[in-house]
Amino acid sequence: MDACLPRSQPPLRLGALLAAVLLAAVAVAGCGTTESIRITPQPGATGSALPPSTATPEPSPSPAFPVSLTDDEGTEVEIPAEPQQIVSLTPASTEILFALGVGDRIVGRVEDITIFPPEAGPIPEVAGFGTVNIEAIVGLEPDLVIAGGNFFTPPEGIERLRSVGIPVLVVYAPDVETVFADIELTGRATGRAAEAVALAESLRAEFDAVAAATADLERPRVFYELDATGAIYGPADDSFLAEMIALAGGDPITTGSPDAFEIPLERLIEADPEVVLLGDAAYGVTAEAVAARAGWNVMTAVRDGAIRPTEDVIITRPGPRLGDGLRSLALAIHPDLDLPAEGGG
Amino acid sequence: MTATSAGIPAARTRTRRTLLREAARRHPRALFGGVMVVLGALIVLAIGFGTVAIAPGTTVAITLHRVLGIETGATWSAASEAIVWDLRFPRVLTAAMVGAALAVAGATFQGLLRNPLADPYVLGTASGAALGAAVALLIPVRIVVVEFGLVHAFAFVGALLAITVVYRLSRLSAWSGMTSLLLTGYAVGSLLAAGLAMAMYLSGATLRQIFAFLLGGFEAATWPRLAIALPLVVIGTAGILWRARVLNGLMLGEEAAAHLGVDVKRERAILLALGSLVTAAAVAVSGLIGFVGLVVPHVVRLVVGPSARAVLPLSIAAGACLLVLADLGARLLGDIPVGVVSALVGAPFFLFLLRRAQSGYEL
Repeated sequence: MDACLPRSQPPLRLGALLAAVLLAAVAVAGCGTTESIRITPQPGATGSALPPSTATPEPSPSPAFPVSLTDDEGTEVEIPAEPQQIVSLTPASTEILFALGVGDRIVGRVEDITIFPPEAGPIPEVAGFGTVNIEAIVGLEPDLVIAGGNFFTPPEGIERLRSVGIPVLVVYAPDVETVFADIELTGRATGRAAEAVALAESLRAEFDAVAAATADLERPRVFYELDATGAIYGPADDSFLAEMIALAGGDPITTGSPDAFEIPLERLIEADPEVVLLGDAAYGVTAEAVAARAGWNVMTAVRDGAIRPTEDVIITRPGPRLGDGLRSLALAIHPDLDLPAEGGG
Repeated sequence: MTATSAGIPAARTRTRRTLLREAARRHPRALFGGVMVVLGALIVLAIGFGTVAIAPGTTVAITLHRVLGIETGATWSAASEAIVWDLRFPRVLTAAMVGAALAVAGATFQGLLRNPLADPYVLGTASGAALGAAVALLIPVRIVVVEFGLVHAFAFVGALLAITVVYRLSRLSAWSGMTSLLLTGYAVGSLLAAGLAMAMYLSGATLRQIFAFLLGGFEAATWPRLAIALPLVVIGTAGILWRARVLNGLMLGEEAAAHLGVDVKRERAILLALGSLVTAAAVAVSGLIGFVGLVVPHVVRLVVGPSARAVLPLSIAAGACLLVLADLGARLLGDIPVGVVSALVGAPFFLFLLRRAQSGYEL
């Protein structure tokens, strides 16, 4: 198949396969949303209160449909009537739709190994990670498809769905502010604008509470491990995950490039993390296993025993549980942190 | 005793098989007709089946409505029509076209290079196409080039550029035989593969797209893409078929071909160009699909012998059959890569033929 070596299987293909598997692993962990290709504005990642939302859609009393919305890729999407049959192609959208009270309108969803809420489990899967079954989606006769941007849903699939007349709203949150905007966008697309504004506001309040609680604390150098089965994967520069760590009161150690998720061990040793967080704890990685890795014993975090598991899904998934995610992240970085009771919004 | 009693029926079956082989060799046209009937049946089957169950009557009614404008009085949903006409039709026909294109290109390259392991990708087209696609994917803006898409356009151009460079470079060396061409193809292909590996390393979120291109498939098939690629494939294939005798001559070796009155250099360049055009058009719509181009011509040769006049048309029909079948299998099994299915279906069949082969052939 490969050009250069039709006979002996070239090592390139194996390498490519491994790379794809690893990328898929990262995407599973991060829902693909931490991958950033666009240049993203960094809302002054100092842990202070977030700037207020720029888009404040008034819950319009006038008929909400037909509506024309601009999605995260800048496409104008016309939705003629309030959607009754929705296909959700990102795990976060599925969570948002349920949180907005329209989960029962989802007729098809993306594969998700950590499906939430449980009610979403029985909904048929019509897409996997990086794949999308166009025929199955068209067969469901949806009146709205919410797809993932930045190549999470294959762009050709989005194009095909639009070509047969199905409105496709593409969401992609490279930063926390866009998560709030996407919730409101999803609300307007599904006739739940007021609920969406309320949900975004309560999330924002949770974020502000964490930011306030961590404002005066020391900011330890934090390495958030996404995967280390082969190479070591962590947050890219200016990525969503790096922003979350900063908001939770940590100083994120990043890969050194906005496009790379792999961090060389030498760079990590030089950065000397004071806290190592295990986003791959769900895959069986333990603090003991990390401490036993060759070369890691020189890091402050390993010597101090500051290696802690995290619940990766709620931290990296840009959905309604992100407030809980930030709280858990702040507690993982500052175990003694005194946070106000949950649901601060 | 046992040896003789076991020997008799074995000899008898062998005779029957030999007769069948003889019939196939003598009547390649009848065999071609038979394979085309199978292809027609497979296309009907592949349009009828998919992830979503659509009643055969509805599929027929939609087809009659769209193809011939005949109204049967039946009604169907807009979704059914979109699935049958906008998704399945272009996909199945693209699979048939790509299968035919890769098989005919494979037969051409094998004959031209006199190398049984040659396939349509052997002279760098695959690496060129893949690198083209990767570069297109790394360009942050999404541009549509006449309904074709930047990825497809770049893959097409990349494949043709690669083969052009290979051909030009091989002519620079004083020793300009087919071996030099093959080795130049290998060297250029390796360079391009290194570029591809680098592009994949830098690709971030687009890695999956590049990987999908490397695996190949027909998910992206649309009517406009088919309409652009089909004329290229038809023209290239017709040109190759026109030169079947020349290809037979070239298979005897350069000297022998020259004695037969073949302008070796010119004809070789033309056949190379036609084969590459067909390959590039196929690769642009489907990505890199392996196996078909390498194995289908051999299957055909095992049945009808090595004459290009029989091998080329039969490879076209058989290649189309294999990919239509493989794509149907891939869709029914949940959109797994079509190259996986074609190899899973084709390789055992090929091994079976090899084991049963009475007489071989040399390229």
